[in-house]
Amino acid sequence: MADASIEFKGTSFTLSVIHLKTSVLADIRADLVKKVAQAPDFFYLVPVVVNIEKIALDLDYQAIKTLLTEFNFTFVGFTGSISKEQRNLVRELGFSFVNTAKAKVVEKTAAAAPATVEQPPEEQVENTVTPVASQLYTDKIHRGQIRSGQQVYAKEQNLVIIGSVSAGAEVIADGNIHVYGALRGRAIAGAKGHHKAQIYCQSLEAELVSINGNYWLSESMEKDWGSPAYIQLTDSELTSSKLI
Amino acid sequence: MARIIVVTSGKGGVGKTTSSAAIGLGLALKGHKVVLIDFDIGLRNLDLIMGCERRVVYDFVNVINGEATLNQALIKDKRVSSLSILPASQTRDKDALNKENVGKVLEELGKTYDYIICDSPAGIEAGAMMALYYADEAIVTTNPEVSSVRDSDRILGMLASRSRRAEQGLEPIKEHLLLTRYSPKRVEEGEMLSVEDVKDILSIPLLGVIPESQAVLKASNAGEPVILDTESDAGKAYQDVVDRLLGDTVEFRFLTAEKKGIFSRMFGG
Ligand SMILES: Nc1ncnc2c1ncn2[C@@H]1O[C@H](COP(=O)(O)OP(=O)(O)OP(=O)(O)O)[C@@H](O)[C@H]1O
Ligand SMILES: [Mg+2]
Repeated sequence: MADASIEFKGTSFTLSVIHLKTSVLADIRADLVKKVAQAPDFFYLVPVVVNIEKIALDLDYQAIKTLLTEFNFTFVGFTGSISKEQRNLVRELGFSFVNTAKAKVVEKTAAAAPATVEQPPEEQVENTVTPVASQLYTDKIHRGQIRSGQQVYAKEQNLVIIGSVSAGAEVIADGNIHVYGALRGRAIAGAKGHHKAQIYCQSLEAELVSINGNYWLSESMEKDWGSPAYIQLTDSELTSSKLI
Repeated sequence: MARIIVVTSGKGGVGKTTSSAAIGLGLALKGHKVVLIDFDIGLRNLDLIMGCERRVVYDFVNVINGEATLNQALIKDKRVSSLSILPASQTRDKDALNKENVGKVLEELGKTYDYIICDSPAGIEAGAMMALYYADEAIVTTNPEVSSVRDSDRILGMLASRSRRAEQGLEPIKEHLLLTRYSPKRVEEGEMLSVEDVKDILSIPLLGVIPESQAVLKASNAGEPVILDTESDAGKAYQDVVDRLLGDTVEFRFLTAEKKGIFSRMFGG
């Protein structure tokens, strides 16, 4: 059955994700109008995936697709950490469910739906970004304390913070996170799926740490609490070790 | 150039108005020209603490709307002639202020006054943002408890991102930590955060520590800012704050609980 005319290969793409915060179509439409007006060319025929994890089952899925098509997006499918029930519904209605590395982990306990998308036909979409282990990220350096309510994201970079991360603040990096200060807020490393990402800090007092979708709340950090420490992922389990 | 100082906190009821009044009056007593502005539109009470509530004719919102001139609205303090108060409106809401007109009023006041002290409303909504927008310095008023510290941290983030200085890429707002309602006894008993704890979490320079004191309530009821009560701990602590704002190095006091007398120690009282 060797077919010379086509070949199936896995490649990853960066896709835009639209996070729905409501199922009210009129509101979504109004916000799309605003967004698209800002940069009509930018969005033209852009492939989008719709994240529905904040939305209840009563969403009109077909209407969402129609709406996006009307705004000249290329609708790919739905995504998000949703229940198996909702996933099945999505698929029964004839839509693709696009898994991300993150969504998979959150759903670990529930039986996960197939991890890939059937379309587009030539290539498969696995994750939004390939977690290439050898990928050498550059550093994003932030000087000063990150305060409650603030969020810093190092997209496709490591994040270096010269200062503390307050409780109620959130630091996210696709690579590693280094905090030259106390880590009291949330730190999410390897955010787009990178199991070798690590988190370093001078004092471990975090509300949450997460690597490649695996997370710990404060209560799991008891061993190295208040010490200079780093967190890594060993066989899908987070582990912490003292730095000195 | 006038120094515009916002007294802010995030959390409500921590002592912003008490501190604005004490510090404003203290600076004026040192011979500086000071204006106190009540940004807490709808919950006017700076005038009460200052004891001038019966003399309010026009207010901040009237000035913003062009219904009164600044001179008509400013109330001169009866104790110190270099101090004026611009009261808030009790009948409008916080949306009555807008950036452009507030800027104009501050600019006008800056021509006459050395210090413009802005008493912020609580919260992180429009009213509080308006009070901090034009600030050169901020007195971040904090009680030694976790929720207050968290809210102060949030406000520090706002100072660094939502102020005029941040928007225009100017030198950042100078931040001061003012710890109020400090009770050394409760700190020792582990019921409250210590000065060191709060400094460690917020990591900004400490301007002062005001002890929890009966004198504050007495002062508020009398409309006499507590700094005038020179016998009280709180009055003395506010005086230290004023001196530090003016550049003096003053040692911190009232940080430890009063030692028990030999009698109570012997009998475990
Ligand atoms: N050092 C102190 N000791 C004892 N009581 C105090 C002290 N400082 C403030 N208080 C009391 O705390 C209460 C709140 O004070 P104040 O009105 O100054 O706070 P605020 O931060 O301006 O409040 P709001 O957020 O409502 O504007 C008042 O009853 C005041 O008397
Ligand atoms: Mg007040």
